[in-house]
Amino acid sequence: MMLHGLFMPLVAPGTPAVPLSDVISAPQLSWAGLILLLPLVSLVLCGLCAAFRVRSKLPAVITSAALAGAFVTSVMLYFSYEPPGEVVHLFDWINVSWGSGAIESFSANFSLYIDSLSLLWIMFVTGLGTLITIYASEYMEPDLGKGYSRFFAGVSVFLFAMASLVLSDNLLMLYLGWEGVGFASYWLIGYYYQRPAAVAAAKKAFIVNRIGDIGLALAIYLIWVTFGTVQYDELTTVLQQENWRESFEGWTTSAIPFLLMLAAFGKSAQLPLYVWLPDAMEGPTPVSALIHAATMVTAGIYLVARTYPLFLLEPVSLQVVAWVGGLTALLAATIGMAQYDIKRIMAYSTVSQLGYMFLGLGVLTTYGAAYHVFTHAFFKALLFLTCGAIMHGFAGQLDLRKISGLRHLPGWRITAWTMFIGALCLAGFPLTSGYLSKDVILAETFVTQGPGFRILGWLAIVTAGLTAYYTFRVWFRVCAGPVAFEAGDEYHGDEDHGHTGGFHPHAPRFVINTVLIILAVGALMAALPYFMSNQADERLVGGWVADMVHDSTARQGIPGFHPDDVGHADAGHSTAHGHDDSHAHALILGMDPHIAMYWISGTVGMIGLFFAAWLHLWKRDHADALRRWMLSKLWLGWLPRAMERKWYVDEFYHALIRSPLWILGHIFYAFDRFIIDGIFVDGVARIPRGVARWLQPLQAGAVQSLAVVMAGGAMIILLLMALFMQFGWPGGTA
Amino acid sequence: MIDRLWFLLPELVMLGGAIACAIVGLSHAAGIRRTLPVIVILTLVAACAASTAVYDASSLESALGEGAVALPWLGRAVIPMVALIGTVLVLVQAGFVDRGYESAVGAGKLRFDPLRSARGEYYAFFLLSLAGLMLTCAAPDLIWLFLALELTSLPTYIMVAIGRSERRSQEAAMKYFFLGAMAAAIFLFGFALLYGATGTMELTAMKDVLVARAAETGSIGSLATLGLLITIIGVGFKLAAAPMHLYAPDVYEGAAAPVTAFIAFVPKAGGAVAIMLLLSITGWAGEGGSLPSAVLVTLWIMSVLTMTLGNIGALLQSNVKRMLAYSSISHSGYILIGIIAGPGAGFAAVLIYLLAYGLGNTATFSVLASLRRGGEEVERIEDLAGLRERQPGLAWVMAISAGSLLGFPPLLGFWGKLLLFIAGVVSGHLVLVIIAGINSGISAWYYLRLVALPLTGSATGSSRAVEGRREVGPRVAGVFACILLIGLPLLLEPMLNEADDAVRDVDAMRSEMTAADDSSEPVG
Repeated sequence: MMLHGLFMPLVAPGTPAVPLSDVISAPQLSWAGLILLLPLVSLVLCGLCAAFRVRSKLPAVITSAALAGAFVTSVMLYFSYEPPGEVVHLFDWINVSWGSGAIESFSANFSLYIDSLSLLWIMFVTGLGTLITIYASEYMEPDLGKGYSRFFAGVSVFLFAMASLVLSDNLLMLYLGWEGVGFASYWLIGYYYQRPAAVAAAKKAFIVNRIGDIGLALAIYLIWVTFGTVQYDELTTVLQQENWRESFEGWTTSAIPFLLMLAAFGKSAQLPLYVWLPDAMEGPTPVSALIHAATMVTAGIYLVARTYPLFLLEPVSLQVVAWVGGLTALLAATIGMAQYDIKRIMAYSTVSQLGYMFLGLGVLTTYGAAYHVFTHAFFKALLFLTCGAIMHGFAGQLDLRKISGLRHLPGWRITAWTMFIGALCLAGFPLTSGYLSKDVILAETFVTQGPGFRILGWLAIVTAGLTAYYTFRVWFRVCAGPVAFEAGDEYHGDEDHGHTGGFHPHAPRFVINTVLIILAVGALMAALPYFMSNQADERLVGGWVADMVHDSTARQGIPGFHPDDVGHADAGHSTAHGHDDSHAHALILGMDPHIAMYWISGTVGMIGLFFAAWLHLWKRDHADALRRWMLSKLWLGWLPRAMERKWYVDEFYHALIRSPLWILGHIFYAFDRFIIDGIFVDGVARIPRGVARWLQPLQAGAVQSLAVVMAGGAMIILLLMALFMQFGWPGGTA
Repeated sequence: MIDRLWFLLPELVMLGGAIACAIVGLSHAAGIRRTLPVIVILTLVAACAASTAVYDASSLESALGEGAVALPWLGRAVIPMVALIGTVLVLVQAGFVDRGYESAVGAGKLRFDPLRSARGEYYAFFLLSLAGLMLTCAAPDLIWLFLALELTSLPTYIMVAIGRSERRSQEAAMKYFFLGAMAAAIFLFGFALLYGATGTMELTAMKDVLVARAAETGSIGSLATLGLLITIIGVGFKLAAAPMHLYAPDVYEGAAAPVTAFIAFVPKAGGAVAIMLLLSITGWAGEGGSLPSAVLVTLWIMSVLTMTLGNIGALLQSNVKRMLAYSSISHSGYILIGIIAGPGAGFAAVLIYLLAYGLGNTATFSVLASLRRGGEEVERIEDLAGLRERQPGLAWVMAISAGSLLGFPPLLGFWGKLLLFIAGVVSGHLVLVIIAGINSGISAWYYLRLVALPLTGSATGSSRAVEGRREVGPRVAGVFACILLIGLPLLLEPMLNEADDAVRDVDAMRSEMTAADDSSEPVG
């Protein structure tokens, strides 16, 4: 706890926790349960569609209607909710007590916690869910009557689980949703279950997530043991006690954030558990867009933001979060630069952007993290859906070397230009949404003091440049340049067309184009909240999203938020930073970091964009020449090779974890086969047989012999009893 | 004494039903003969209704008066349970007695001869045996207890014999009869010793004598202890508890599947009830009372041996009926845990467990009773492989009932086992419960085969020859039992309350009644 001065003090009890009794069944919010119910209904209906072998697009209609209903409900909730948030009690789930002591009761109900943070999340989850479902109704057409219902049932399960994760009012229900989204992700990655790669990817995602889930389960247990509750509002109340710091010291408070971190890193694909996400691209593209880019992978960010006060109890934990996030962002960006599969590049960029979000959480700007989650959800979903449209139209072609000049092809204009908008946002082109949200994080990295945070800040800026490079590498290669394309491996001759010319791409139709345009507009509009005024507190900056974060447990990470102002009497722990306390502000290049960052990140982005244009638009042969040149130099050759092979992380895990487990498994198998089965089971089986042979004359099945054995048995039992009475008895006290 | 007769109303109903069955079975009209199972079910329903009328708060006083039973309200839970499981059991029996003879008569090849037909008698014996079980619950003294136990068992010997006309069945019946007679002799000898030690036949009076003696000398005396030990070992035959379990595999295998379903439950329930009543003479239900350590240790050894020998035996079987026979032995071991755990929670758990066991066991046998392979019963486990392909319903019944017997949540068997184990732990027999847990794990090996083979296995050459029988009775029984196994856990709380109520000790009830009287008539 020696680093306390560097960090803001823990809980600022500005808005007191809401006592449960006051808020049970808040009347105007009671229909919040619909958000959970509608996907569940849609799941059942999709199941019925599968059972009755529906061949129409009915499952898609049902699911999009249900999700649209959930979205409307969450928007209505947003308008009728009042800070600081309320608990909507759906039904009693687990309520047990076995005493009156501190940890002698456990209660976790099916209740929804409606505060600004959960509303922010549920709105973009349901909104994007609706759009992507509509997109999928066209995208999944080839599977009509086959896996169509199964796909939408999976999407419904996912939305139900994600809604319970986001809206739950306790950690146990969050855990339920956490496992549920993991299961839905497994289900949908393995959608093409005839394809071994998809099955392997689904397994990998599930197993890697499991490692994180252990962390979450243990964290929940420790939280219950330490604080005596797993409900958010009670947790806040407990942490607001006067002597919280004295009350909660010990190894558990230090361990909890690290366990939660493990869970978050697993779900949100951070080092060292990120390896599952790139492989998860084996699933259908709408799934990649919805689950593996926009929503599920941000669950880790949500978890940390939700349990932020617990992270503040152990300051080292947030520094670890920052470093892991920053390094993941850099690593994933370098891998993304050297890939050729556009969906995989997008996957690595997702990992990289998630790294930025964790960096934001680590440097105490939950607002920045949440804003980046929000903008990223739009532009990354957009990018994935354009990739999906390309994949769909070019028979599974995803290699950026084999498609070119898309914007000149008839029917592909919308795809190309919406992708351009997405790429601008991801690259951080000035004044796009991605630029604004990334800048908040970058600037805070220089503002907040911590071990090596300045280095981290410069690394993050370099990463921003790399991001711009690899993003536009994709766009220039695929959408610009001369027209040229090859069909992907799903192409087996084009019987429908009379032409002999071979492959003809299928341009996306109305539904996909509409969704792309809506998302592109959304990605651009996501910049607006930055400029909106704050309603909760005019001293806050950061616009609407900051407002949304402010009313939640994550409010410590809001610029301009002063715990002291709202009555926290913990003297000596004033804010470490904030816009108007200049003493704490570090400077870069003689300027306030927030101002400087506008220029720095804009410039870096432009440099990256320039390199991309040079190597992939104007002089495409230079890219190959550069690669050849680098490979030819002994001292440099390792770099492109390592980047293309993803820094050998998979190989490393394979050698270090999988192989030992494989060997261990075989040892266990041999032990089971030869020792347990061979000696014990067969041996045990042999004993009665041997005894039986010995007693053959008695055991002839004749009545007399049975009678003799029974009587003898009675004698033996009485004898045993006498022995036990004499010499002690294994069963306890006689 | 006239008051006491009122308590025999359910048994009298059963007797009436038995006589009706015996007469109806002689009818020349096949249609009338076919109503026999219906008569049995109606009788059971009537007996159940009679029991609710009899075991009523208004008859509490006479129940607690002269000649009271040690656990006066036991019948209140046991009789409805017997009626319920009896209904399922009679559905399993439907249409199997005299199958060949009846079909020959139906085809006009033979003339119906009342002297050759055994169907009516079979159902009469069925009811009489159940009546014996009901009477066991109401036994106030040793003679009654002996007669009731024998009334439970004697009809089953005949049922095994006339169940099917095969040499194996006759042999099994003979074995069962002779060994049963030996066991009866053993526990009758124990009864004699108990009488010698206390000078009375009445269980409550016996308890008074023994409690007074224990208060005086510190123990109930060696003669009474020896008598009790011998009695328990002898009654263990009904339970199929070690060492008197050896008959079970041979007899269960030899009897036809429906009869096996019957004898695997009814005598076992009778034995459990009898031991509960007999142990009451030690006064362990009273304040500060406990079981004499010799009896406790003996029961403990019996329990451990029974479940372990049963499970290991079941592991080695390839014959389904032998396997289920051994597994039913292991269930007796679990039941003994509840009995060791003592009056109150332990006994209540025994009642719930008996219900779960009875339903699960009957359902497994109902599957065997619905199948045949070239006119023979299905006996090898491999013959069940891939059953789902041809008989999906039966495969699921097998899976659910085996799952319940294994104790798979959320089925009734799980709750039964859980309650037994909780009772065991609470009463301080942790080691015993751990041993039972290990045994339960062993039993997973063979029970899961019964779940997996029919559902996921693929049919082999021999199992393809297995086909369903024409009768619907066993199928209905299986489905009904499975619905109960899934549904009854929802009623667990009322069931537990009822069971707790049923196992209250007579002294506790008497003092409660006095307290209630006192409070209703305020003094002065």
